[in-house]
Amino acid sequence: MSQTQTDPRPPSEEQADLSTSDGLVARVRLILSRRTEGRAVALLMVVWVFTLLFEPLVWTSYEVTLGRIALVGLVALGLTAVILMGELDLAVASTLAVSGVIMASFDSLAVGVLAALATGLIVGAVNAFFVVVVGINSFIATLGMLFFLRGAAFVISGEAPVRIADVDAGIAFGQPVIGPLTPRMLLFIVAFVALYIFLSHVRVGREFYAVGGNRQAARDAGIPVVRRVFTGFMISGFISALAGVINTLERTAADPTAGSTVLLASFAAAIIGGVLLNGGRGSVFGTLIGASALGMLQVALTLSGVQVDVQNIVIGSVLLLAVITDPSSLRAAAVTARGLFRSRSERQPTG
Amino acid sequence: MRTRRLTGLVGLLTAGALFLAACGDDGSNDTTTDANEDAAGEDAAGDDGADGGADDGAEDAEEAGADPDDAEFMVYALLPQGNDQPYGTTYLPPMEEAAAELGISLTITNSQYDADTQASDCEVAVAAQPDGIILWPAVGDTVRPCLQAANDAGIPVTVTNSDVNPEDEELTRGYSGPDTYGQGAASAELMCEFADGEDIGIIMINGLTGNSTAINRENGFEDTIDEQCSNVEILARQPGNWNADESQIAASEMITAVGAANIQGVYAADDTMVAGAIDALRARDIDPADLIITSIGNTFLGNPLVIDGSLDGKVFQSSSWDGENAVTLMHEVLTQDPGERIVRFMPDVKVTIDNAEDPDVEPEW
Amino acid sequence: MTPKTASGTRTLPPAAQVEQELETRAFKLSEWMAQQGIFLFTAVLVLFAVVFIDGFASLPNLTDVFNRAAPIGIVAAGMTFVVISGNYLDLSVVAQVATAAVVLIAVTNAVGLVPAILFAIAIALVYGIVNGIAVGVFKANAVIVTLSTTFIGLGLLRWLTGGSIYFGESDGPIRTFGTTRIGPLPLAMILFIVVTVLLSLVLTRTNFGFMVRAYGSNREATRLAGVNTPLVVIGAFTMSALGAMLGGFVLAAFSNTAVSSMSDGYDFRALAAIIVGGTSVFGGRGSVMRTLLGVVFVSVLTNIMVLSGLGFGFQQMAIGLLIVLAVSVDALARKTRAA
Repeated sequence: MSQTQTDPRPPSEEQADLSTSDGLVARVRLILSRRTEGRAVALLMVVWVFTLLFEPLVWTSYEVTLGRIALVGLVALGLTAVILMGELDLAVASTLAVSGVIMASFDSLAVGVLAALATGLIVGAVNAFFVVVVGINSFIATLGMLFFLRGAAFVISGEAPVRIADVDAGIAFGQPVIGPLTPRMLLFIVAFVALYIFLSHVRVGREFYAVGGNRQAARDAGIPVVRRVFTGFMISGFISALAGVINTLERTAADPTAGSTVLLASFAAAIIGGVLLNGGRGSVFGTLIGASALGMLQVALTLSGVQVDVQNIVIGSVLLLAVITDPSSLRAAAVTARGLFRSRSERQPTG
Repeated sequence: MRTRRLTGLVGLLTAGALFLAACGDDGSNDTTTDANEDAAGEDAAGDDGADGGADDGAEDAEEAGADPDDAEFMVYALLPQGNDQPYGTTYLPPMEEAAAELGISLTITNSQYDADTQASDCEVAVAAQPDGIILWPAVGDTVRPCLQAANDAGIPVTVTNSDVNPEDEELTRGYSGPDTYGQGAASAELMCEFADGEDIGIIMINGLTGNSTAINRENGFEDTIDEQCSNVEILARQPGNWNADESQIAASEMITAVGAANIQGVYAADDTMVAGAIDALRARDIDPADLIITSIGNTFLGNPLVIDGSLDGKVFQSSSWDGENAVTLMHEVLTQDPGERIVRFMPDVKVTIDNAEDPDVEPEW
Repeated sequence: MTPKTASGTRTLPPAAQVEQELETRAFKLSEWMAQQGIFLFTAVLVLFAVVFIDGFASLPNLTDVFNRAAPIGIVAAGMTFVVISGNYLDLSVVAQVATAAVVLIAVTNAVGLVPAILFAIAIALVYGIVNGIAVGVFKANAVIVTLSTTFIGLGLLRWLTGGSIYFGESDGPIRTFGTTRIGPLPLAMILFIVVTVLLSLVLTRTNFGFMVRAYGSNREATRLAGVNTPLVVIGAFTMSALGAMLGGFVLAAFSNTAVSSMSDGYDFRALAAIIVGGTSVFGGRGSVMRTLLGVVFVSVLTNIMVLSGLGFGFQQMAIGLLIVLAVSVDALARKTRAA
């Protein structure tokens, strides 16, 4: 705006050009104002500057950084699908552990992988069943599953790590296949692209937003809410199981205690990425940026030898900042502050 | 629009301040530490409680001991615990001290027993191309890919605290630390010795479920009991999660389950838990001196119990020996390039009332 | 404070409305089912245990059940305020319990008992206010807010204390508190019951408790009624923080030790007890007494499993099943009533 007004010498010839660029600016602004990834991008920028200045190794050994992002981000992608519908899935980490253990208990790797992925789908379906058929809050249903599946992982594994049958295949799985990309990163990219297309270009996926925004309205508009919720939880369960399979293969063993940091890190990635916990707002793109920022931050802090307690303080602070600087949070705070001033000024004349 | 842009800016600046402050901590001098605290305090409004604990702050003068500039070697230490566990707390300072003396610049990570985090830390370490990697496996079965990667990159790996599986030994240059299986076994030998051929029933309190050390000690104890004294029968077992309080309740409940009259002994996988178990006995007016009780560890709780006769015997484990030797072993590998794998077990000193006051079994935490 | 009288007259009708709504709710079938549900479950379970489990009905064993229940129960009783105010849970109790335990023992050893307690109270207030402001003023989601304060709080605790384990003096006041019995009952058990009754009275008999319940059942109406809703939320989180602090004291006194990892899992375990007791995570419905029952129920169940020699895995599975079962009964009852 100010650009066009203060510029004193716009020749008529360039006028059109400028107005289109102005239109472009406006359009970019419009797009930006609709996007929810702003804070994630800001954070990522800060991390970029920080790492370029202090830990360039984060960039030069980019394949390591990519690996960490894929580790932090994969489960978060599936979780995003559920959160967009205004539901929660607390069982992701336990699903990851139990599917890994199930996979390792089979002698055949292929059968094990299929069984593990099927487990993920079943867990998702069971979660969804309790949420939409029985009518329990997803927070509680998946809390129950969190305990149940963790216990199941211990029971199935005999409370100890289980090595997979073919250790060499596992080690081979951890090696790069295309350029520096390992299967983990490729699967992460595939999962991201698939979910991105699904949620932004496929009708079924776009309806997730409607389900999360206003469920009654979605129902009235003829959206089969029950089926959408099932789809969402099954995506989350499947991706958690996929992460369990990848982890188990790469480590050559399944650990029933696995995933202790997964649940909280995934939530952090999604929230920093601008996904609204009440549903209806956010994108997997935001989650990707959130996971990238977190992953790079972790690698950089690890490289600089910052102890994990301080890392946690940093990550906790970033997370707290991310939630209270959410536009709706700031608006709420502004309303409260205004209310405070108003009541004060009201009181003054009377008192 | 405006609030949004403002938000972005403020967020950016604050986040930037936070990161810079956090990174400044590396320098480990007082001013940067304060800056960090302030920055974190800004929005935590000082969960300052912690400040109170600062009276101990002086003793954990942590962070890399040596200045990287005059350090001879750069070494990554991939640990699964640190200041979040008491053992790690007493393990780290001797480790850092030894590193400073030997001219080793240490970068320490803590995966909090998450195998996936440790694997990722390992990738980071390999990418940093250090002179060596010290590994304390979070989950023993999962470290082979990490060892393979380090080997492919030509980085020597030594293992500390709990050894890798036998088939993975070829990928490592040495091990120093306790023989966790052997500790369970030694504690069982004590139990057998005290039982002296009599038929007795005991209860067993194990560490955190699924934890490698817990599993190894349990197996070591049980196998040795089976081999050497089948007159000792394990009547019940529960995890005590390395905690005194959980161990106390679990022990008490097991006493209920099998009946106090049937129990003549207690084994707990560490000192803290055995203290809980002894409290449980006392709460039921059972004199712990009448029972055969054995454990493992080096805490301030353990030795007094041995001296007052409640704890009959334990296997001493020194966290400072462990931390120090992790570094000296790595230094040896780096400077002398020994041909074969060095294995340096922490001496399994059995502590009984006869030697409980000896300086070499002095408790450390 | 000052505006309370001014707004009180102005807003009586909506407030009365909220009260009425609460009252009618209290007598509905679902409420009855849920309330009786946990009573029934507990009664059946205890009966089962008395008949089939040897040694269950002995005094030492019941003491164990309550020793298991006391610290987590006090934490859960405080957290009930957060749940009833419609804010899901307070994850940061993990950090708060550990901090309170470490402060109690470390500061008592260094300075004395009274400064330790005062210091712990100050920390609890900071937690309550920080969480409360982020959730109440900024309307941020409680799960994420308390998740981040957990990270910050535990990080600070471990960083500043160096993660050491602290032992109380073997004949100090903390030890005395941990081992004292009144008659056959340990002091911690009595404290647990006293705290629960007190918190229950706060929730049911005070203005503040009424506002918490009103806010949890209908935020907008409560706000329109002139209630200072941010203060209500801050109050709820402060109650949770004080409960966590007392829970930390009991935990530390019980074993006379404190270490920053001793409260692992307290967040979801406390929530599980609250939910099994029948308090709704939607807010509004529930009581501290139910939380007491929920805690006792979970402790009895764990006790039975340990007595039967079942391992940790089965215990976790049972707790998981129980949560889903307890809430399913409630949900299905509501559905049938609606239909």
